[in-house]
Amino acid sequence: MTERLATAPGAAQAASGPWPLRLSDVTVRYPNGTVALRNVSLSVAPGEMVSVVGLSGSGKSTLIRTLNGLVPVTSGHVEVGPYAVDELRGRRLRQLRGSVGMIFQGFNLADRTSVYNNVLVGRFSHTPTWRTLLGLVGHDDRDVVMAALDSVGMLEKVWGRAGALSGGQKQRVAIARALSQEPRVMLADEPVASLDPPTAHAVMSDLRRINSERGLTVLVNLHLMDLARQYTTRMIGLRGGELVYDGPAAPADDAVFEEIYGRPIQARDTLERSS
Amino acid sequence: MTSLPVPRRPRSWPRVAAVVAVIAAITAVTVTPALGGIRVDLGAIARNWHYGAHHLAQMAQLDFSILPRTAKPLLETLEMAVVGAAVAAALALPLSLWAARPTNPGPSRRAVRAVLNVVRSVPDLVYATLLVAMVGVGALPGVLTLVLFDLGVVVKLVSEAIDSADSSYMEAGHAAGGTQTQINRLTAAPQAWPAYGSQVLYSLELNVRISAVLGLVGAGGIGRLIDEVRGFYRYGALAVIILEILVVVIAIEVASNVLRKRLR
Repeated sequence: MTERLATAPGAAQAASGPWPLRLSDVTVRYPNGTVALRNVSLSVAPGEMVSVVGLSGSGKSTLIRTLNGLVPVTSGHVEVGPYAVDELRGRRLRQLRGSVGMIFQGFNLADRTSVYNNVLVGRFSHTPTWRTLLGLVGHDDRDVVMAALDSVGMLEKVWGRAGALSGGQKQRVAIARALSQEPRVMLADEPVASLDPPTAHAVMSDLRRINSERGLTVLVNLHLMDLARQYTTRMIGLRGGELVYDGPAAPADDAVFEEIYGRPIQARDTLERSS
Repeated sequence: MTSLPVPRRPRSWPRVAAVVAVIAAITAVTVTPALGGIRVDLGAIARNWHYGAHHLAQMAQLDFSILPRTAKPLLETLEMAVVGAAVAAALALPLSLWAARPTNPGPSRRAVRAVLNVVRSVPDLVYATLLVAMVGVGALPGVLTLVLFDLGVVVKLVSEAIDSADSSYMEAGHAAGGTQTQINRLTAAPQAWPAYGSQVLYSLELNVRISAVLGLVGAGGIGRLIDEVRGFYRYGALAVIILEILVVVIAIEVASNVLRKRLR
């Protein structure tokens, strides 16, 4: 019972143009005293596809979370499109987040509810709270959800339980959830670290397609060298919370990665050799 | 298969011995009146058991003549249990979400928890006595008592289940720009559903037992009849009523076990 939708208006492409990102001298110190980011500055042009590379604990996850305010900065400034993220609170912060899609290593789906409800989460920022509370879903929202699921090939599973899906399917649903926001920017925090190699390539291809077809700015955290080289055009290296590399991804050789990792290259640093 | 360098297994018996010693010491203190413990006189059992045995013997002579009179109060007990559990369930769902940390990170959580701690610390018979005085004899004070009792149990257990469950989906909801209410409605509520359903069924089981007693203070149900036959020393009839309650309790347990399996 696959329900093919005629191209829903506004669902197939981002609402309008992608946004630039800018971090100026950003430092993040957690309440326990750990400094996760130290004086990081970088800017990303609209529509770029950038990887953030580093070992676990290097500050990748923190960096990506400063961009949608999930982690507040201790000092410095974060700009995403027209928003000064470090100054936002409440409704304005939620508005910004509505324009920034995010996918996660652990997929972060609500396993016990349907794929449909999970993707509907992406419509939160476009929906008044009372409508969500009463369970009212407009036709537009429904169409956006179905189109997003269709674009990742998961429309068939729309009424199934999210918990019943495989890892790769869950990440596709998570991508559909982010796409249903009709975002200007897509953040991905280690999106393939929990997936097997073929599925990892499929998900990375999805991200690249989102970048090229919808023209979204994409920032993706990776710890595997070959994926960074193959799928992204620009690479940012983090070590111990400091920015140690910012340049093109494809020509980055092993020496560059040894510099970023701060140790010799190992088999587990690539998807092919580690699997 | 020569010697593998297996690390030495750590010794655990000193810890086990220490734990056993502490438990034994605490038990010893609690039954020593000289140290503020309670008086447990096992000899009293030997001296007095024949009085109780006499009652037991009387109970063994089942008096089925009471049966026709039990139908109505037993039905009332059941109805009180169901209505009490249903009303409590409706109130417990939002309260559980407000009382759990992932679904309510703000300061209002503490207030909700404080109120529920007070609600839970009042014994059910005290509620029943007060409510009978306030709203009069009958089923209504019984139902209200059950609602208050169930709320305390269900909200505590469900909110603790939410606290300890994985809540990574919350981060996705926040990242999408959702309000806490939106996230709770669309994702947290379905995630909590099995724990919630299971506890509501449990409260229904408890209600049948409790509402059997509430009649003692005039709050409706089979308890009033129990009080009456006990007052007339009709132990055979009392035994029949107890057996009836047992049948009802088992029937509800079987039914709720079947339902609970379908919740997963």
